[in-house]
Amino acid sequence: MTNLDTGTPPEQAERKPVRFIPGQPDMWAFVLFETLVFTSYFVVYLISRTQNRELYLQSQADLDLRFGVFNTVMLLFSSWAVARCVQASREGAYRDALRDAFLTIFFGVAFLVSKVLEWITEIRIGNTFTSNEFFQHYFFLTSIHCVHLLIGFVVLGVVVYQLWSPARRSQQLVETCATYWHTVDFLWVLIFALLYVVR
Amino acid sequence: MSTQTGSLASRFVWNFRHNPKRELWFAWWVIVVFYQLYGLLFFVVTRVQPPPSPGWDTPTVVQWFGDHHLGILAGFGVVFLITGMTAPINALLAYSMRRMSVSPIFGYSYLIIYSLSAVPGMLVMAIAMTVGALRPDRDPALIQWLYDFAFLSFSGTMGVFMIGSLVWMAAVLIDKNRVFPKWFGYLNLCNALTEVVVAPAWIFRRGVFAWNGAIAWWINMVVFVVYTAVFIVLLRKMIEREDFGTGELPDLPPKAQRKQSSSVGAVQ
Repeated sequence: MTNLDTGTPPEQAERKPVRFIPGQPDMWAFVLFETLVFTSYFVVYLISRTQNRELYLQSQADLDLRFGVFNTVMLLFSSWAVARCVQASREGAYRDALRDAFLTIFFGVAFLVSKVLEWITEIRIGNTFTSNEFFQHYFFLTSIHCVHLLIGFVVLGVVVYQLWSPARRSQQLVETCATYWHTVDFLWVLIFALLYVVR
Repeated sequence: MSTQTGSLASRFVWNFRHNPKRELWFAWWVIVVFYQLYGLLFFVVTRVQPPPSPGWDTPTVVQWFGDHHLGILAGFGVVFLITGMTAPINALLAYSMRRMSVSPIFGYSYLIIYSLSAVPGMLVMAIAMTVGALRPDRDPALIQWLYDFAFLSFSGTMGVFMIGSLVWMAAVLIDKNRVFPKWFGYLNLCNALTEVVVAPAWIFRRGVFAWNGAIAWWINMVVFVVYTAVFIVLLRKMIEREDFGTGELPDLPPKAQRKQSSSVGAVQ
């Protein structure tokens, strides 16, 4: 595919400060576009919020901040793991890279489990998708993010598939997939800030 | 050659008789004309887009039908005429996938699923709307029933469009013939994800998730318009690059060279 496939040694990359985009530049178009779409969801949320501040503040009090913090930490760890995976793969340490890819999946699953538990907790105390405006946004944003996360597992599957056999190991694909995963994390941090932290 | 020297009419006739890409260009122009007409008919003539509120009471809905009586009947009359234009459109979209290095399953799936989307997305809506508008003295409850039926059938195409986008995405990402750039594959994913967002329209009658809501309709429509504009341009590029082979699609020669041998002469 590109010269990245051969894996440029890190010291060589340092000597030549060329413009470097990790993975397919195409994935960055996705990141940009998806960020714009999410920004528009956030704008809608914030505008609705200004029209009914009391309701939003009351409803927010029903959210368990511990779940939010735990989820954020899990995804930050997963991002760290996938970054290590890319690093290891660049250096040709494919066993380590594979381990880090599985570690990323582990943190992703921890996030998913905690997310589902949080949903169950909210529904048990009577806060559902149709309860009020805040919970519409809460369930919508967390669910659409969760869909991105589920696609992320497919993407991480591609990473594992690439790293598994010496016949494949496309560094470009590994980095493209890692970029996707970072986006999932990045979007969650924004959602966390808007739903749990903003008062 | 006669193609470069003749009048516009004679060049058109020459292309019509000899250009090996004439069917592709025909289908492409159908796409351009169809979407212009679609915008005009749905947004201006019938005023069913942007959609009116699902939260209205029966008298307001009857009033709405009364206000748009002529527009609905005339506009959807034309819609019935042009729905068939979706056939060459879907054919060209499927052709793009048949030109890829991927299994024919992709093209066939796409063809079938998008042919299905024209039924609920255009025809059922058009029928329900014209039935509602035809007799203004009909029982108001029935008119409201038709109103809901029309707009829900329109929103109901979302799943079809979602799967269609995912099929195209997979084909573009796997393809080795470079028919489309990879970012278009990812853009398909963006479009598919905004189709998911329409789903709450089945639950809510007001707010941002209703069928006329900021998230379920406006954002979704903006993404769809961008996506459609992008694939129309990319299909044009594909036709220009088409060499009727089975391998990698060649890049276009630099612009200066292309001017010398006009798009038609280059083919021979």
